[in-house]
Amino acid sequence: MRDARNLWSRRLATDFRAALAIVAALAAVPLFVSSPYWLGILIVSIYFALLALGWNLLAGFTGQFSLAPAAFAMLGAYATALLDYHWKVALAIGIPAAIAGTALLGWILGRIVLRLKGPYLALTTLSFAEIARVVVGNSHEFTRGDQGLNVPALMQSRVGYYYLFLAVLLAVLCALHVLMRGRAGRFWLAIRDDETGAESRGIDVVRFKTLAFALSCAICGLAGSLYGTFSQLVSPELGLLLQTGLVISMVVIGGMGTLAGPIVGALLVYLSSEWLRGVGNIQLIVFSLVVIVFARFFRTGLWGLATGRR
Amino acid sequence: MLALDLFVNGLIFGLFYALMAVGLAMIFGVLKVVNFAHGEFYMVGAYTYVLCAMKLNVPPWVALPLAAFAGAALGWTVERLLMRPLYAGYASWSIMKDEYAVVVTFGLSLLLINLVDKVVGPYPYRGPPLIETSRFALGPVMMNGQKLIAAGISIALLAGLAIFIKRSLWGRQIQAVAQNRLGASLAGIDATRTTSLIFAISGLLAALAGALLAPLINPSPDVGAFPAIKSYVIVVLGGMGSIWGAMLAALMLGVLESFFAVYVSYDYRDAFGLLILMLVLIFRPQGLIGEKGREV
Repeated sequence: MRDARNLWSRRLATDFRAALAIVAALAAVPLFVSSPYWLGILIVSIYFALLALGWNLLAGFTGQFSLAPAAFAMLGAYATALLDYHWKVALAIGIPAAIAGTALLGWILGRIVLRLKGPYLALTTLSFAEIARVVVGNSHEFTRGDQGLNVPALMQSRVGYYYLFLAVLLAVLCALHVLMRGRAGRFWLAIRDDETGAESRGIDVVRFKTLAFALSCAICGLAGSLYGTFSQLVSPELGLLLQTGLVISMVVIGGMGTLAGPIVGALLVYLSSEWLRGVGNIQLIVFSLVVIVFARFFRTGLWGLATGRR
Repeated sequence: MLALDLFVNGLIFGLFYALMAVGLAMIFGVLKVVNFAHGEFYMVGAYTYVLCAMKLNVPPWVALPLAAFAGAALGWTVERLLMRPLYAGYASWSIMKDEYAVVVTFGLSLLLINLVDKVVGPYPYRGPPLIETSRFALGPVMMNGQKLIAAGISIALLAGLAIFIKRSLWGRQIQAVAQNRLGASLAGIDATRTTSLIFAISGLLAALAGALLAPLINPSPDVGAFPAIKSYVIVVLGGMGSIWGAMLAALMLGVLESFFAVYVSYDYRDAFGLLILMLVLIFRPQGLIGEKGREV
């Protein structure tokens, strides 16, 4: 018991240090890269890193394989955009409102799907995601449908946005580390590995599962909301299932159930997809192939390969 | 009389849905996983039919079995390459079995869509119809020849499948493996080969659905997304894993949808089915028919 605990703590500490090193390296990037195009690409990769971390909390740490991360990013982005469009609410209130709103929705979704597992859970969250997208895309008078909504900018410069996204990434990373080191993290892992066993040892499974849903969805909502102010346009396309597919592939390639893995995966997938787009628009073919190969043969992802844990 | 028209057309779409959903139900029945690439089996069938007929000048009646063969080959290959870890005795895989299946089939779906998009092109193709007729009135029901023939073929296929599962040796082996994989293999049934067969059959049926509908839907690479989502709804409605439940639920959904689109809301018709799916999974996860209807 003690040994197992130390093992996990040590693993988490290495993992966290690696993640911090990546964030530190990212912080130095604007010193060398000044092209707004590449900064933009990096900002979008950090957006995906946030989604990947959020989804990983649910799927990698708690074992709840949701297919709705992109839908929650879309909902977060729309919450901010709609507050601004209809009621001229400032971003300083609009962004926290998006976080709170998606957290609440995530909590409700978590309560609803509490008893569902595996394929049933995947199908229910998939339907939730698609319903959300269809409703947002078709409520023309309220959301302007597929035309999308304009969002005011939060920062003046690309570099400003870059450091904003990076700061948020760091904050989310630290928060996740604290949670995973504490009781909640161990409870989540216990629920992932053996739900019945966890419950029989007195873990409040209902509470911790819904908590994981709420937090994960709030992270996705925050990411979406920030992305909206960066691109200054939100559209239902943010919630496409394809986006969820990208997030999943990032986490699977980077390493599920780790902190550094999703960040590495997001950077790698998004940056190389920019490169592959230049080669001939084959990025999605390559990534889906890589994901299948990783899922089939290297289940612990790059992080697992790097640390020798197969 | 509009109601009768809607009813008949709904039933016909229900037949096409059934072709898709039955395969999905069989896969779920045997492996307890959802095949998220099922829509792409349909897409591959539609493309094989259209490309054979248009580029190779194969007559439509020959292109149809070719499409079915392509679907069966694809299903068989997918099972051989990707589904084996789900049951072939990898002890450590069992914990993450569901996740593995979702990731792999989801990845496969993306792969096939983008491969076709890259190789064939993103534009929709219009397939040649099996017979040339314009719309005609069949009593109060507006009909066209392609739809009528496609419906006829679907009925024949579904009936054939039902007899195959009920009566033939292979069909009984499928039933046995679905009920108890270990028990079936102890009784001398090759469970591995049976699983391959199931994937081949469900690939075949989905591809045929795509080929039959190709003249009506103008296939594009992502054409499989909606039929796939419909078949998830159907499989859940019919009780996951039940073939008969899936057939019944497919007809029901076809009719319900065609009424919903006209009388309630056309824009939200796709959300409607998904809402049913969520409600059923939450309140009646065994499906509308329940355990009794689950034979495969």
